[in-house]
Amino acid sequence: MPSLNDIQKVLIIGGGPTEIGHETELDSATVQIMTEFKKHGVRTLVIDNNPFSVALEEIQPTNMYVQAVTTENVRHIIEKDQPDAILPSLGGLLGIQIAQELIEDGDIGRFGVTVLGMAPATLRQINNPAALNATLKEIQEPIIEAQVVSTTDEAMGMVEAIGFPLIVKPVSPRVDTNRTICENVDDMLTALNQGFQQSRFDQCSLERSVVGYKEVEMVAVRDVADTKILICGLENIDPIGIHSGDSIVVTPPQTLNDREYQDLRDATFRIATELGIVGVLHLHFALNPANQHFYVTKIAPYFTRGVALAARTTGYPIALVVGALLLGQRLVDVKLPSGYVKQTAIMEPMVDHVGVRIPLWPFQEVPDADQHLDTVMKAVGSTIGLGRLVEEALLKSVRSSQFSPRDVLPSVSNLTDGEMIRQLIHPLANRILVLIEALRRGYSPAELSELTKIDNFYFVKLQHLLLIEQAIKDHPLDVDVLLRARYFGFGDGMIARIWQTDTAKIRQLLADARIAPTYKMIEPTAGEFPEKTSGFYSTFEYENESQSLGERTALVLGRGGNQLGPNSAAEYFTTEMLKQLKRAGYHTILMNTNPNAVAIAPEFSDKQYVDPIQLGDVLNVIHVEHPDIVIVPGNRHYLTRELSKLDINLHVLPPDQETDQPAPEMATIGVSLFVHNQHKLAVGVMDMIAPGMNKSLSQVTAFRMPAELPRSRRTNLVEQAKQAVSERQVTGMIQVLFAPKPDSDSHQLTVVGVRPSRLTEMAFLSKVTGVNWVRMLTRQHIGTLDDAELSAIKVDIHSNRVALMNAAFPFRQLHVLNRPGTTDQEVGATIAFGSSEALTLTNLSDTDELDRIINRTI
Amino acid sequence: MAKRYLILEDGSAYAGEGFGAGATTSGEVISNLNLLGYQETITDQIYHNQIIVFAQPAIGNVGINHDSYESILPTAKGMVVRDVTNISTNRLSRLSLDEFLQQHNIPGISGIDTRHLIRKLRQLDGPMKGSIVDVADAHAFDQLNATVLTNRQVDQVATPKPYPNPDTGKNVVVIDFGLKHGILRQLSERRCNVTVLPWTASAQDVLNLDPDGVLLSTGPGSPLDLGDAVLEMIRTVQAEIPLFAIGLGHELFALANGAELKMLPVEYHGSGHPIRRIVTNDIIYATQGQGYAVVAKSIDRDRLITTYVDLINGTVQGLRHRDFPAFSVQFFADGAPGPHESRDLFDEFMEAMTAREG
Amino acid sequence: MVKVVVDAMAMQRALTRITYEIIERNKGVDDLVILGIKTRGVYLARRIASRLQQLENVTVPVGDLDITPYRDDIDHDAQTEPEVTAANIDFSVEGKKVILVDDVLYTGRTIRAAMSAIMDLGRPKSINLAVLVDRGHRELPIRADFVGKNIPSSQRERIKVSVSEIDDRDAVEIQQA
Repeated sequence: MPSLNDIQKVLIIGGGPTEIGHETELDSATVQIMTEFKKHGVRTLVIDNNPFSVALEEIQPTNMYVQAVTTENVRHIIEKDQPDAILPSLGGLLGIQIAQELIEDGDIGRFGVTVLGMAPATLRQINNPAALNATLKEIQEPIIEAQVVSTTDEAMGMVEAIGFPLIVKPVSPRVDTNRTICENVDDMLTALNQGFQQSRFDQCSLERSVVGYKEVEMVAVRDVADTKILICGLENIDPIGIHSGDSIVVTPPQTLNDREYQDLRDATFRIATELGIVGVLHLHFALNPANQHFYVTKIAPYFTRGVALAARTTGYPIALVVGALLLGQRLVDVKLPSGYVKQTAIMEPMVDHVGVRIPLWPFQEVPDADQHLDTVMKAVGSTIGLGRLVEEALLKSVRSSQFSPRDVLPSVSNLTDGEMIRQLIHPLANRILVLIEALRRGYSPAELSELTKIDNFYFVKLQHLLLIEQAIKDHPLDVDVLLRARYFGFGDGMIARIWQTDTAKIRQLLADARIAPTYKMIEPTAGEFPEKTSGFYSTFEYENESQSLGERTALVLGRGGNQLGPNSAAEYFTTEMLKQLKRAGYHTILMNTNPNAVAIAPEFSDKQYVDPIQLGDVLNVIHVEHPDIVIVPGNRHYLTRELSKLDINLHVLPPDQETDQPAPEMATIGVSLFVHNQHKLAVGVMDMIAPGMNKSLSQVTAFRMPAELPRSRRTNLVEQAKQAVSERQVTGMIQVLFAPKPDSDSHQLTVVGVRPSRLTEMAFLSKVTGVNWVRMLTRQHIGTLDDAELSAIKVDIHSNRVALMNAAFPFRQLHVLNRPGTTDQEVGATIAFGSSEALTLTNLSDTDELDRIINRTI
Repeated sequence: MAKRYLILEDGSAYAGEGFGAGATTSGEVISNLNLLGYQETITDQIYHNQIIVFAQPAIGNVGINHDSYESILPTAKGMVVRDVTNISTNRLSRLSLDEFLQQHNIPGISGIDTRHLIRKLRQLDGPMKGSIVDVADAHAFDQLNATVLTNRQVDQVATPKPYPNPDTGKNVVVIDFGLKHGILRQLSERRCNVTVLPWTASAQDVLNLDPDGVLLSTGPGSPLDLGDAVLEMIRTVQAEIPLFAIGLGHELFALANGAELKMLPVEYHGSGHPIRRIVTNDIIYATQGQGYAVVAKSIDRDRLITTYVDLINGTVQGLRHRDFPAFSVQFFADGAPGPHESRDLFDEFMEAMTAREG
Repeated sequence: MVKVVVDAMAMQRALTRITYEIIERNKGVDDLVILGIKTRGVYLARRIASRLQQLENVTVPVGDLDITPYRDDIDHDAQTEPEVTAANIDFSVEGKKVILVDDVLYTGRTIRAAMSAIMDLGRPKSINLAVLVDRGHRELPIRADFVGKNIPSSQRERIKVSVSEIDDRDAVEIQQA
């Protein structure tokens, strides 16, 4: 391991486009690590082609490589720029694989590059079940013996020894797949064929299935001096058999006794030491509830969603600490920002609250995907609930997951009994509602626990919630019942619905009884030390720890959790907006429940509230903070409407993507203008590309800028656009849409619509023009935009450097037909730069061609 | 669940719901920050006559099980928690935390803002008395103020007579000051043939058993209340037999060898502090539960070496005698509840005994 | 067939205990010097010195002795007597309490050679021997004062000590020949 002085320049392998399996948590960790590196005087290079990356906004153009994250591209950068080290663990599994390939090809050795975080010997083992198991066996960690096979015949020979159900896993897969459970020979043969294809070595491993066992994850950090700290344990409510990304997760674990927990902690530490991990380690275990034996099932010494969850719920700043550890600093010497008590980095976190993470699904936007939950991840995002009771945290997280405008939970009461039982055994998404319904229908916790393999404890808790619900129904407008309901996590909206009144009435009752939420600080010492961290959650107890942040504050409401559509772009937007507000002298407060959000990292806002973004909870925060500005995202119509009734300075940002006007059927060119007072600044002229056969506006998911037209035409279109805008009352970032005139030949273009620029395009424009338009828009809203400054901005809309942005879709991961997607199905995007020859238009309508161009080697 | 109150001697009263026994009790109020292990905690005799406030918000989730008793008859005076769940996970499903507490006449109170309490208690500079009562009236406060915190604690929890824990390995004498069973389990795991002696045993009593090693156990209260005879015993025994002392045992070992003790302003019970093992300059984590600490400056360097230090509060966490194979630690080497890395110390003890033979 | 008889943690503990015993026996660290033998004895010597440094805040000088490899295979009748080929000791041993450190104590011949070499350099006050492993089968009247672990072994077996400074881990293993 290097010493602090040896490393001057580090290449970070970025995560690429967001997808199912990784959202913005990698970007978030990257930004924090970059901050830490900068503190130590280390220069950071980043390779990433995610147009919504905030990390790419934080570094100089000379340090960024906006290229497809591939082994070839990384190799070229190493060759050219000669970094002292590369950091693969911020690129998730992809980053690890690239590092593995570079080691195998000898590049790491040849260029004398250090791999930060783990030795090459360890790196070779990650994601290679056979190699890892051999190591684990040597240190006597219990594993599920995997047999590696290269042919179906070999596999058939092992079936008797292993027995069914068994699990098939591809060895070193090219994509983050998971295990496939096989109940019989047919299942196994199918899985083997798929697995051989996915494996880099054409091999699969077979092992006994531990489906039904309890799944517990552990997150730890380790430094070069072998000091290890357990950050936390994450207990999956759903047993093994359901991917942990699709499970409801509770932290700290609620159904383990101390001994079981410590056994897992011991194993985690032994593995961290044996593999020589420096930085963060995230392990998965399967626990046999019958005899408390456990097995190690997954080793991830890189940044994951689990790591992000651990950081958000404990308040321990994992990414910052890991940044220092990677450079060789010892835990005992790590200095944290001033809000933390001095030795926080080296104290093992103690937690006095409960966190629940619940997955968010893509099924509304991709209805043909199979909703059954299994070992392949389908969730596209997640949201968390924090509280001082398990019921409270559970209910808050479920409320945040429904995105219900009035904060009520949908009912599944129309399920037949048969259907319900089927769903209990073969769970679908939203299974928490089915579990509650089953309890409602009289199933006992013991029965349900047996059926679902979910620990009895959780059913006892859910049943308790039903009792409270019954009490609410039986005692309308009763203040004691109201307090009890709020205490256990019921939202104002839910109670209002049951009492058939409105939220205002509920709030009135609470105010009269002087019942207000008490906010608790999210900090990692369980009250032992006077930490001054910035995260808070609400509960109903005795002491409130949150005081108004003071003068000149801006309250920003986040999105709550990642979903399909322009969410990564919205995340980028929110973060940039927060930065701008800070620059304008505001103290920023963010309300969000997305544990993977970039914006929720403490460095982007002065204070964070992790509470459901629902009317009642928002009003409670406003009551405490008295913000000067409140910013609500454009997709929350109900919330916007209700908040505008109050006397607050409300702004809608990101802007509402819907307009009153009907959208045109199709557009082929978009002209982006920034409109402010009299100014209409031309930002860009782009080709709007709908890959595939059917051309409709909702399928325009790729953009090329500048559009492939003669200069004179572009200039002409800009004039037309400006004209169109003057005829309407619009302001801000605007896009004027053009399409070929229907009757004439396709060279004649006419204006077909004017709309606020979409978030994805705004990110694209910012990355391409080098001007951050999100910040401009924010400044316009808060009134700090200077006319003179705007006039001084020069954008070259005829640049020779061409940019191409292409949306990414989750179809392959959801195992549905790969087809041209619509804008509300986007899960991420990629961006590429090049010459106009490399990115000519005729090629770009073809999805494969698009992919190839985006992923090309530079 | 009946409404009950936790009242403190500073005049404050907190309303909550009773669970466990309906008894009215008084005692010193202590914060416990451990993440898990409520059963181990409530049965640990170091909490004799104390009311424990738990940082962990949800208690009772895993019932009561066979392996987590740190004593058979707990003598704590109460549990103060945010939330209690009554689940029994044992074979006959008949032992939830609630039932257990009733059996031992220990009251519990839930629905308390324990975080607030812990934050308040950390700022004190002396013990705080409290009571769990049915009514928080003047009478209850009077009773509370009149309560005197006992100083005969070890006598009340330690064994009055010797008893064996037979096995086939090394012969170990354990001096019982209110020991926690985790110690016996660790010795048992290493096949030690254990004899537990009352704390009033003399050096001759110990030596008569011809042990390979002697262990001074944990226990409640202050070592200053135990008189000088036990210190004399320690001085004699340490010169003859390998000695290992934990918790209260460590404090006595320190006193016996000329060091002084100070009372901590607030008792610390948790496992998050990094502890430096000086000899190898590395860091471990262990469960701590202490109200007293050795005064570093008072350590006679000709007799004692400091072996462990708490990096957060600077307290001495381990000592070793220069001239004899006698060593001690303030933290709970057996780690029940809590981190296991300190169990290594039992191996050290074993190896010291082996080396002695050879 | 290879069996680990001392793992990394046990090796740490053994060295720690030896360190404390050295302090016990010598009533402190004044006038102490440490000499390590051959490759691995030197690393062990340094680790003991490091522990003494941590505990007593005193730097105890460490030197080493290079001795011709003693081929410890089954038939060692045809061996030549080991001798010291180099002594890297940049301090005087005159009047000092020398702690000689080796990884494995077997026949005792290596130690005899070491002691001769030391006494050629000066007149130490005393020489004590610390070994990580004592495997028995002494051929000379030599015994260790501080022993990490006694591992009675047959002459057919091979005892292999690994130290993380040059091997990939800390361990003591017995190999059946």
